[in-house]
Amino acid sequence: MQMLIEQLLNGIATGSIYALVTLGLTLVYGILRILHIAHAAVYTIGAYIGVWSFQLTGSLGLSLLVGMGAAAVLGVAIERFVYFPLLRHPPFVPLIASIAVFLSMEEFCRLIAGPQILTFPARLPFPSFRIAGVQVNETLSAIYCITALVLVFLWFLTTRTELGLAMRATAQDIAVADAMGIDTHRIISITFIIGSAIAALAGMLVGIYYNQVYPTMGAIPAYKTLALIVVGGLGSIPGAVVASLLLGLAETLLIGYAAIPLPRDALAFIAMIAVLMWRSEGLFGSK
Amino acid sequence: MNPILELDHVSKSFGGLKAVDRVSFRIEPGEIFGLLGPNGAGKTVCFNLISGVFPPNEGSIFFDGMRTDGLPSHRMAKLGLGRTFQIVKPFSNVTVLENVVAALGISRYDRLTAIWSSRMDKRIRSKAMELLEQVGLTGIAHRKAGLLPLGNLRRLEIARALAVGTKLILLDESFSGLRHEEILQLESLVRQIRDAGRTILLIEHNMKVAMGLCERIVVLDHGRVLAQGSPEEIRSNPAVIEAYLGKQGGSHAA
Amino acid sequence: MSGYLLTLATIMAINAIAACGLNVIVGFAGQISLGHAAFFGIGAYAAALLATKAGMSFWAALPLVVLISGMIGLLLGLPSLRVREDFLAITTIGINFIVEAVFNNFEWFGGALGIGGIPRIVFFGIKLRNEGFLLLVLTALVLVMFLCWWLTRCWAGMACFALREEETAAASIGISPVRFKLLAFVIGTAMAGLAGAFYAYFMRFIAASDFSFPISVSMLSMVVLGGIGTLWGPVLGAVILGILPEVFRPLIDYRILFYTILLLMMIRFQPGGLLGETSAVRRLFNRWIPVPAP
Repeated sequence: MQMLIEQLLNGIATGSIYALVTLGLTLVYGILRILHIAHAAVYTIGAYIGVWSFQLTGSLGLSLLVGMGAAAVLGVAIERFVYFPLLRHPPFVPLIASIAVFLSMEEFCRLIAGPQILTFPARLPFPSFRIAGVQVNETLSAIYCITALVLVFLWFLTTRTELGLAMRATAQDIAVADAMGIDTHRIISITFIIGSAIAALAGMLVGIYYNQVYPTMGAIPAYKTLALIVVGGLGSIPGAVVASLLLGLAETLLIGYAAIPLPRDALAFIAMIAVLMWRSEGLFGSK
Repeated sequence: MNPILELDHVSKSFGGLKAVDRVSFRIEPGEIFGLLGPNGAGKTVCFNLISGVFPPNEGSIFFDGMRTDGLPSHRMAKLGLGRTFQIVKPFSNVTVLENVVAALGISRYDRLTAIWSSRMDKRIRSKAMELLEQVGLTGIAHRKAGLLPLGNLRRLEIARALAVGTKLILLDESFSGLRHEEILQLESLVRQIRDAGRTILLIEHNMKVAMGLCERIVVLDHGRVLAQGSPEEIRSNPAVIEAYLGKQGGSHAA
Repeated sequence: MSGYLLTLATIMAINAIAACGLNVIVGFAGQISLGHAAFFGIGAYAAALLATKAGMSFWAALPLVVLISGMIGLLLGLPSLRVREDFLAITTIGINFIVEAVFNNFEWFGGALGIGGIPRIVFFGIKLRNEGFLLLVLTALVLVMFLCWWLTRCWAGMACFALREEETAAASIGISPVRFKLLAFVIGTAMAGLAGAFYAYFMRFIAASDFSFPISVSMLSMVVLGGIGTLWGPVLGAVILGILPEVFRPLIDYRILFYTILLLMMIRFQPGGLLGETSAVRRLFNRWIPVPAP
């Protein structure tokens, strides 16, 4: 029982991290219809910038802000210089560009920082507490709280603000939003800023959680999160969150209790294909 | 006579919005039939339902005596229905001639021989040239389609529709964006096609063209049939004047 | 030719066959496939298993291998092609990860150890090696290119082009989107399987990591670099990506960075590839070989 609860707690943490990365991906897909694989590079670079500024300043709060800021700049740069000029081409053109950006940035990190693993020995000052006799440590508690905060923030932003309305209008139909007088290019940039900052936050949290930052850390979420946005229903925020949490739980429980001879990535994709066969529009998608 | 096309209480909605609402009408063989209405009245949605781009939510469609609602586009084409598009969709990277040749391939696409029979067939090429002559595009048969002005693309789409639509041809605003003399040419082409034994259903924005060309007209408004009848009946129908001509008079100057 | 050059040339020719197959899917029919290495791997594993477990000769196994790859392409393509276009990109990535994982984790496929001991091809009593093997692969490449050329001339190819250009319009002239997308997918995966069979017999030892996702990306790079949808593009791409590592041997540490940046620059500024329309190389090409007036 104790072990089950422990695994559930870990599963929710894994799922929360997936959700943070997937959110940016689903926001970008919703607005540009681009599969933004390079998002995982933003996540990795966010983690690196976070580690480095932590090593320099020793202040976690400052490092988180610097990491998120740098990631936001990077995200907008990718949008401006790579995606935006390619929007008129068939969808595989920006997709290939995105893969190229992802792989080159991964290489860039390896060349700059070396292939070795950096440690991220920061303490997250969040309250630790007990649930049903199981201790929830500071890091887990931080992951839960931060994910919840991000979700509330996004919910508020998209449903309760002028900006959110403009974002939804742009996602619905760029041409119509343009005609309504919305500065769609600004909205697209803001989407990238928000999504990238959240990805960097996720990268830094993972770095602290496992106390590891390394060049290929983005490869784990890079492809799996694609499966997640499909399962959630392309472009759907609640769908992406639910799918992420389900996957986090499923992975942790399966690894804990069943001897499955396949790695996690393959399982995520098998689940995705199964969901697509059953509901081709995904869990929360519309046809 | 049996109608060539019949819509019976056909409805289609998109995310709760009723684009087409219980629309019924029938078209007799050999007619030039007009589908009119203000912007957003559901005309193009009607075309897409008839030609099988998507299925209706309710109601039934009969084409040439067969129930066809729910059949996909390529099956409708095979049954002898050709169409054009309001936003032109040429195959841009190939020549004008190839565009028509592609449409003439309709007799091949559903057979396995499509893999080993050559599309460089002499008979088909000369047939494609004939169609291009009908729409007046022989002079630019070897130009790349993507580089043509709108007027030529509209005619190209008609040639493609002619290759496919042996029974019924749907023209979606084929006259819009054309110059006056082009409109006159196209009007006589439409009559020619009809005289050769085909039925024509057209969506038109230009009232003058529609009234002059069509023998019968259905007017849609907000997805519903507002009126139907001969051009004279439509012209004098108070509901039409109120809902369509009234608005049109104010805003159609653009 | 020295053994080293022969190896290089043979690998390039094998890659060119696979890239031609990918070009049929991406270039001719406009479908995206990011899991081409999976089908390359299915061909290689089928060939290896038929040789080592069933003891079949290369010539008897070859048609079976092509058939198996094509059939698995059909099976996996059918559900993916029914859904939205973007899904195909993701499902093919997924297929690549799943196939690699299956090869890597099931004992029957040799597991992490891979499959070794694949015999040499025997041609009229002669064991093919070096030049002989290269000649065989080049013959296959010529046949594959002939098939690709034929696709540009037959009705099925016309249907694929029409779908790539304008799907709705193509359907309105009687072309079934699912049928012809699937046809292109099956032809492309069968070609990948053929290339895989040669790969298995050439290396004589294969492992799951030979068919991982980065291999799919590099195959796609060949097609993009050479010219999507052109006849010679994939071959040119395979040759260039085959030579580059040798040219940049001194810069081995920066190789992947260089590749990926090259791919990015190409797709960003010349999405049509080296032989694509409007490209400088193409114009040069046309000057040498004037296009006959239609």
